[in-house]
Amino acid sequence: MSRVLVGVKRVIDYAVKVRVKPDKTGVVTDGVKHSMNPFDEIAVEEAVKMKEKKIASEVIAVSCGPAQAQETLRTALAMGADRAIHVEVAGPAYDTLQPLHVAKILAKLSQDEKVDIVIVGKQAIDDDSNQTAQMTAALLDWPQATFASKVEKSGDGLTVTREIDGGLEVIKTKLPAVVSADLRLNEPRYATLPNIMKAKKKPLKKVTPKDLGVDIAPRIKVVSVEDPPVRQAGAVVPDVDALVAKLKEGGHI
Amino acid sequence: MLKEATSLILKHTVVSRKHLTPELALRLITPDCPLWRATEEQTPFKDPFWAFYWPGGQATARFILDNGNLVKNRNILDVGCGCGAGSIAAAKMKAKRVLANDIDKFAVIATEINAKLNDITVETSTTNLIGDRCIEFDTILIGDMFYDEEFANLLFEWLHTLSADGKTVLIGDPGRHGLTARRRRSMSLLAKYRLPTHSTMENNGFTHSTVWRLNT
Repeated sequence: MSRVLVGVKRVIDYAVKVRVKPDKTGVVTDGVKHSMNPFDEIAVEEAVKMKEKKIASEVIAVSCGPAQAQETLRTALAMGADRAIHVEVAGPAYDTLQPLHVAKILAKLSQDEKVDIVIVGKQAIDDDSNQTAQMTAALLDWPQATFASKVEKSGDGLTVTREIDGGLEVIKTKLPAVVSADLRLNEPRYATLPNIMKAKKKPLKKVTPKDLGVDIAPRIKVVSVEDPPVRQAGAVVPDVDALVAKLKEGGHI
Repeated sequence: MLKEATSLILKHTVVSRKHLTPELALRLITPDCPLWRATEEQTPFKDPFWAFYWPGGQATARFILDNGNLVKNRNILDVGCGCGAGSIAAAKMKAKRVLANDIDKFAVIATEINAKLNDITVETSTTNLIGDRCIEFDTILIGDMFYDEEFANLLFEWLHTLSADGKTVLIGDPGRHGLTARRRRSMSLLAKYRLPTHSTMENNGFTHSTVWRLNT
């Protein structure tokens, strides 16, 4: 049976209206509701399903971030992960934490914990980078099955259906491998009270990037974060004739 | 206090038979209760462990009901009794004496409510017995108590002492992290049960539950 490592990120909740900081260095996160990146919820669900199907023997959840990342890890534990590792990165270091750093951390932990499968969300809804799975696979020199909408155990490897432009692609990988979860892979379960209570007692280990020998000096500099341009208000016209006249007037037809 | 606690328990739970021991009716928080989807902050109880029928407890109760000779005419101590199912099962199978013990006062009240629901009476206590010699008892029930690593260490050491004194120690567990491979080596597997869907929903990641006897 396989050991599975799942990466989970704490992000601004998908329902929150995001505001850019006045100095354009980033977005406002203080006092804003956060939750687990929705694609990571899908990754956790898939890992727990593997455990329930006896494909996986253990599910380890990992999150990099400040103290609050532990809340996200507790959610993963309530969803059914067995134990958690909190890689503590706080303050300015967290502001400049990038996919390459997270990939290095996940790669190191995958080796230390002797895992066979790494599952992460295909991207985080805050920075939309879509890089961590690919970089982790590259660093480990493991096969990657990204944008998975179906994962099955076949022989000593995995058969993965991938969401690609205009259709689906089915690939086979050997293990160990890195999988990234797409939207249609599954429907994540809700963490109910009995599971939340039990999750509090599951083991959660804290480490730092330094403990793992990972240098988190930023490789990318954020120059400016801007609001999307505001759309100009439209006008309602009474009928088709008026619409045609308006379009002619504007030189569109 | 007792009256208030009782009415609070009755208000937030429903009678359920959707578990491994359907012959026992138990008041539990189920998906039909608002608290099922509540956060910890929204519950009027602190850690209502007793409001759920833990898979380890289900396995020990099932095993007792199927193997009554294990408890008949014996003196049973149910440590961490929770909803009281293990104690009720033992009493039903004609144990000489049953003490349902849990340090949570709500748990022993829930146990009394559940015992009554099954036409059984059990003795209860909220004393912390971990470390006690338990001279009045010959059989110890441990239903799903290896969920906390630190506590598991204390518990296991104590159970070994009791076992060395000649007591039968029955442990129900679905595979919690505290019941390590090393610990399982000093135990004998008595039974393995597939959990009903309802129970797997309360225990994400677990599909089976087992009963073990600690080797003497």
